Amino acid sequence: MNGPSNSDPRIDQAVVTDDAVVVAHEKLLGKQPDEKARYRLLPLNLLFIFSGLIFFGATYLGRYAGYFDPKVFDETAPKATAAAAAPEDPIEKGKKVYATVCAACHQANGMGLPGAFPPLVESEWVVGSEERLIRIALHGLQGPVKVKGADFNSMMPAAGRVAGSGFNLSDDRIAAVLTYVRQEWGNKAGPITTEKVAEIHGKEGDHKPWTAAELEKLP
Amino acid sequence: MIIAPTNAVSAEVSPVDVHARGALLLLLASSLGWLVLSGILALIAAIQLHSPAFLQDLPWLTHGRAEALRETAFIYGWAANAGLGIGLWLVGRLGGNLLRALNWTVTGTVFWNLGVLAGLVGIALGDMTSLPMLQLPRYVQPLLVVAYAAIALSGVLAWSGRRVDSTYASQWYVVAALFLFPWLLTAGQMVMLWAPMRGTLQAIAAAWYAQGIWSFWLAPLALAGAYYIVPKVTGRLLPSYEFAPLAFWVLLMAGGWTAGRALVGGPVPAWISTVAIVAGMLVLFHHMVLGLNLRVVLGGTGNALSFIRFGLAAYILSGVLNAIVSFRVVAERLHFTFAGSALDQLAYQGAISTLFFGSIYYMLPRLTGRTWSSGALIVGHRVLFIAGVVGAVVSLTVAGWLQGGYLLDGKTPVADILGNIRGPLLIATASQLVMLAANLLLVVNFFQSVCPCRTADASSPGPFRQPSAVEATAT
Repeated sequence: MNGPSNSDPRIDQAVVTDDAVVVAHEKLLGKQPDEKARYRLLPLNLLFIFSGLIFFGATYLGRYAGYFDPKVFDETAPKATAAAAAPEDPIEKGKKVYATVCAACHQANGMGLPGAFPPLVESEWVVGSEERLIRIALHGLQGPVKVKGADFNSMMPAAGRVAGSGFNLSDDRIAAVLTYVRQEWGNKAGPITTEKVAEIHGKEGDHKPWTAAELEKLP
Repeated sequence: MIIAPTNAVSAEVSPVDVHARGALLLLLASSLGWLVLSGILALIAAIQLHSPAFLQDLPWLTHGRAEALRETAFIYGWAANAGLGIGLWLVGRLGGNLLRALNWTVTGTVFWNLGVLAGLVGIALGDMTSLPMLQLPRYVQPLLVVAYAAIALSGVLAWSGRRVDSTYASQWYVVAALFLFPWLLTAGQMVMLWAPMRGTLQAIAAAWYAQGIWSFWLAPLALAGAYYIVPKVTGRLLPSYEFAPLAFWVLLMAGGWTAGRALVGGPVPAWISTVAIVAGMLVLFHHMVLGLNLRVVLGGTGNALSFIRFGLAAYILSGVLNAIVSFRVVAERLHFTFAGSALDQLAYQGAISTLFFGSIYYMLPRLTGRTWSSGALIVGHRVLFIAGVVGAVVSLTVAGWLQGGYLLDGKTPVADILGNIRGPLLIATASQLVMLAANLLLVVNFFQSVCPCRTADASSPGPFRQPSAVEATAT
């Protein structure tokens, strides 16, 4: 205790002038021009505490800030992936499958190759019966077939996830690619659902490639 | 480490005080009037929580309006006037030149208080804005901005015209508050009242404004007084003072970001609340350095230091509790309960009011050149007020904890919950009554002390100790 006793509550005695307070503390900040540099390194414990708080803050933000997404309201929600955020458009998906699997024979423009591979554009097989079309895509087609009045006789391999298939496309990809070809190039048939493909897949199992004659017995 | 002792009379008698006496006493007298009014309204609002029928036939004193009136009278009446009076005095004293533009300050004070009065009448008539801490009706707000500028002008001039380039922590805090409040007030008004932002942004802006009142305005003004008085009375250098600038900047930079903790679980993106939780933790560094700097207050004696000691303890405790309560696991139980009121009492009564009282007790004898009129009233005020704050904070914390449990449980109807926590709420009401009584003692003492009718004690050479006495004791 260096100050004078301050027992009278009616007045608080001060022991130093304002100037003395300012000057003495200014020296502690080490900014006095006539002083040698008195800047001290941050005492280590305070440095550690401050760093610790910043480290905690950064970690906590990384974990619970909801990726700073204005649409995330639950801080524990996992990061939304592109697929989960917006389910892929079946047309876009079908287009990709078509480009990798079908376009080699049926061509990117869907016209096929005359005499070798039948066209899909305005083909009665494509825009017609769903039952027949799904079976062709799942299990393949062999033997003679008439498309838009032209005869073809070649072998279309199975594309579905069936025995002997080189492509193993899942039912939803089959549905997507069929939906795609039924609305592309001026075709105007309705979409094929994954459920419908799965139903036929379950009914026919690992059927061998179909013939046109077999398919024509179906609705 | 002690500061070299100086001539005590020259340490105390400053031409700044005499020159600014009228303007500063006007600010202090106005503040005390609003303090009593807000205390009465706090009592009414507290009674209505356990006895809802109380004053239910007076539409202008239903609970919602009584609470809005209390808050407005407290913030814009008591805290604004007292904080500005203390702040202007501090920058004047530390700047070393006479305060200028004091006629602007007087005019501004008159219009500020008329504006607050008109605002309270407007709230009583039902024109409040429903924004926390900004309940004043829209039509008085431009007046308040202009009046504030007139009051604060003198402080800005004192800062820019200071005699020495060196600055001290009290000046940083006062000047920051002087400049940040008009920014807060105009920006808040603009985005919430004149050109309202839509939807969620409105809630975020409201939370930012309410937090800004604390972080940018009242807390800096309260701390400025503590930073000044502690070394003046103890004569000791503040330990770890080299960290004071860091503490200052952490408060200003991170303080506003803590606003989002009021929105935990609300309709805002998760990151708003998460950033607020992190900012609340960072601000703890400010509280820690503050505690290190001002710990010499524990070794001092005197009335002002007693108030400041309690106020600083409440300030630091409230920072720690706010950081803890903002975490979602805790907020889940305590959010929207009386625990929030408990934290408000701790922050605004325990920290802000108490620190302001300490500054006022130190300041008034300098302004008047005489001691306070009655020592007994001072001790009574201190004991009763601190008892009232402790009672209110503890009882509301208990009430909030129980209430949060019942609300999460979901089996008890709301009316029964209030019945079950009636005991703590009654204690909270009693605490408000005790605080009001304590503040009445201060008001009586204040007006007795400044009354020109008071006869000077001819035998006394003056209130301030003679230099020889200081030299004898200070070595």
